[in-house]
Amino acid sequence: MKGFRNSITFGALAFLALFLLYPLALVLNASLRVDGTGMLTLANYTGIFASKYYVQSVGNSITAGVLATIGASLIGVPLAFCLARIELPGKFLLLTLASLPLVLPSFVGAYALVLLFGHAGVLTTAMRAIGIPIGSIYGMPGIVIVFSLTLYPYVLLPTLAGFKAIDVSIEEAARNLGGSRWHVFRTVLLPVVMPAVLAGALLVFIETLENFGVPSVLAEDRPFLAVDIFKLFAGEADSNPAAAGALSVMLIACTAVVLLVQRRYLARRRFTSSARSAPPTLPMSARWRRVATGFSWGVVLLSLLPFVAVMMISFLKFRGPVLSWQLGVSNYELLLGGSYWPLFNTLILATVAALVATVLGTPIGYIVTRHRGGWSAVLDVIGMVPFAVSGTVLAIGMILAFNSGYLTLTGGWLILVIAYVVRKLPFSIRSSSAIVHQIDPSLEEASINLGVSPLRTFVTLTVPMMASGLVGGMVLVWITAASELSATIVLYTSQWSTMTVRMFQFLEGTGAGAASAAASILIFFTAVPLLLVNRRLRRQDGALL
Amino acid sequence: MATIRIDHLTQSFGQVRAVDDISVTIEQGELFTLLGPSGCGKTTLLRMIAGFNDVESGSIWFGDRRIDTLPAHRRNIGMVFQNYAIFPNLTVENNVAYGLRARKVATADIVSRVETALERVRLTGYGPRWPHQLSGGQLQRVAIARALVIEPEVLLFDEPLSNLDAQLRTEMRVEIRQLQQSLGLTAIYVTHDQEEALAISDRVAVLRGGRIEQVGSSEEIYNVPKTSFVAEFLGATNIVPGIAGGFDGSRTEVAAGGSTIWVDGAVATPGQPVLLSIRPEALRLATGNDGPLLDVRLTMREFLGTIQRLHVTLPSGQPLRVSALGGQTVGATAGGALKLAYDPGQIIVFPAP
Repeated sequence: MKGFRNSITFGALAFLALFLLYPLALVLNASLRVDGTGMLTLANYTGIFASKYYVQSVGNSITAGVLATIGASLIGVPLAFCLARIELPGKFLLLTLASLPLVLPSFVGAYALVLLFGHAGVLTTAMRAIGIPIGSIYGMPGIVIVFSLTLYPYVLLPTLAGFKAIDVSIEEAARNLGGSRWHVFRTVLLPVVMPAVLAGALLVFIETLENFGVPSVLAEDRPFLAVDIFKLFAGEADSNPAAAGALSVMLIACTAVVLLVQRRYLARRRFTSSARSAPPTLPMSARWRRVATGFSWGVVLLSLLPFVAVMMISFLKFRGPVLSWQLGVSNYELLLGGSYWPLFNTLILATVAALVATVLGTPIGYIVTRHRGGWSAVLDVIGMVPFAVSGTVLAIGMILAFNSGYLTLTGGWLILVIAYVVRKLPFSIRSSSAIVHQIDPSLEEASINLGVSPLRTFVTLTVPMMASGLVGGMVLVWITAASELSATIVLYTSQWSTMTVRMFQFLEGTGAGAASAAASILIFFTAVPLLLVNRRLRRQDGALL
Repeated sequence: MATIRIDHLTQSFGQVRAVDDISVTIEQGELFTLLGPSGCGKTTLLRMIAGFNDVESGSIWFGDRRIDTLPAHRRNIGMVFQNYAIFPNLTVENNVAYGLRARKVATADIVSRVETALERVRLTGYGPRWPHQLSGGQLQRVAIARALVIEPEVLLFDEPLSNLDAQLRTEMRVEIRQLQQSLGLTAIYVTHDQEEALAISDRVAVLRGGRIEQVGSSEEIYNVPKTSFVAEFLGATNIVPGIAGGFDGSRTEVAAGGSTIWVDGAVATPGQPVLLSIRPEALRLATGNDGPLLDVRLTMREFLGTIQRLHVTLPSGQPLRVSALGGQTVGATAGGALKLAYDPGQIIVFPAP
């Protein structure tokens, strides 16, 4: 019993220490050294606070984060209520579509916005032609819009689960005591789902701070934390790894604080209300139902519109950056003409990463669920650290750690896989832990009691019972690894370039057409697997977030 | 089959001592019950024997073989779980065969042994069925068959009947008892249901706060409880505080609840505060002048069919419960005065804490 538990716990801790904590420690270390001489210093930090540019960078990131969090909550909470309690036409389809933005790469959404409303955007030119000027979508407005529209599922899914878990008798009791419907919503329903809303909202905030793709597409010259870290580390002109380290540490500090606040808050407020069946739909006048339907479908379609637009535009011909209205596959020819390898690389790396993350995450999720306290509690916390670390920062740390010495990994495929596995491990762990929660521990005890060792019990009894749920987590890892940009952009080599990197390169250059083709391919490879396992993921509700 | 010897066993969770220096020997072929309220340590003790909880100090022996150092899967113990723990992905026969397969028993042997085991729990022919097609009582029988088929040295029952409805519970406990006796198995049975414990056991250990409060046969612990806790836990007894008075050569006088209650023997020194345990069935409605009497006031009457429960108060206001036969006429309505008779030999005295 103990042997099995300890070998998994310490094996996992060793893996995470080597590939997560050690690289991060090196980033911290770099931030405290004088570049070149290696003397200890705080100059990198004072330098940031003295520089108007970097103060602005931190300010911009936090502002965008706060606004996007509010935006995502304003979309997510009403939508969750409508989906939980109002008779909507096509509810099942709506829910499926509403969870799509979670996996669609957000920088593709940002790029779609540029294609439509950018300087030379389709709609911008069209509107200008008929004399309507359109304000700039670059900078804060565009970034907040893209974040709100792509990240609202983080709020929607846990909140929806929360609304559904409310036992209707609580509501009836409140009504019976004389509360009006609105009063009951305000004083009973909302407070009960509030922890779920907050849990989701804080994830939105963290995600916006870490996100590299969206500001890199939409910020133009405005400073943003995640982009500046990348530029300071990898930029050709003004490379300054020590300053990049200092900014990274600040980014991690911000996300870690938010994550801690969230855990603290949630630990004190667990309103478990186990409804035996979902609460009934509300009686409602036809007019109000039309309003709810319009809102729900409107928001979801609006959030998917940019992605659909990109896919359609990818089949139009571009002349340089300028769009013509001729159909054709020239964009795909341009994208894939050089080589199919970036596409293959994306599929290979994501597949390997998904398999490894599942193999690692399954036993970890099992241990942290079954055995609380001691080292498994440590593992539980460290296993969630990747949530607080942006891909760029992790990748920088890995380059610092594995560029030379006994374990040289840079320049190969393995470092990409490891980065994906480390970043996506929380998905696997959560997915595994969610299923383990549903398996009665006495089943395993019965098996051990009958003479089967704990390890064999886990492999032959527990894992098969978990299998159907594990597929969901594995697909989620696959999807998010396939559309990963922020770590890939730091770690890739020309031989191991991926679809996201190609798209980023075309965006930086003038290959708008090829970029739209790359974006379409990414949309295809993320949306299709999700739709295939959607039903499975749904059963775990907000558990994966 | 083995004698189980538990020697100074201790296990704490943080500050709480779940099992606190327990020593007890369970004889071969005995059905030994651990009885107590939730949190008394009975399940922890059982799980330590099964190997699912660590042993902090002390040891567990089957005969002259020490087993607490063995991993759980090498202890050869049969265990029946509270929620049956039937593998949902296996048929009934494969559930029962599970332990035999783990022991690498030959396939032909497995078939015949599974059949015998199912027959023993009256589930002949249920082999190919799936667990979800079975009722709670049937699932519990499968669990018992699965535990028996490996021919364990010891059988452990962890509140096996608590998920069944009342009637099935009484039937199943008779079945379990008959099976255990006919196979001569040494068994440890955990329950919080005192009636079940009294009905089924050779001996009962009443646990409280991780310690054994009393061990004895069902009759002993019911009739001669050593502490007020045991008296209270087994059958809702009336606990009445009082002050011991003089001893008249055969009885002691106790001033309690504004009355005088007589107890057999010299139970306490005069002036000593005591607790009296008076079982509801030890009190009866006075029919003549038959021995010492108590003046009480009736507050409520519950008619329960074969018996009726009278809620009365002593002159001080101290409430008492009285069990009277259902057919008996109570000569008073709520608020009215009654006289109760009792046998001083049935009242048990504990020193007040």
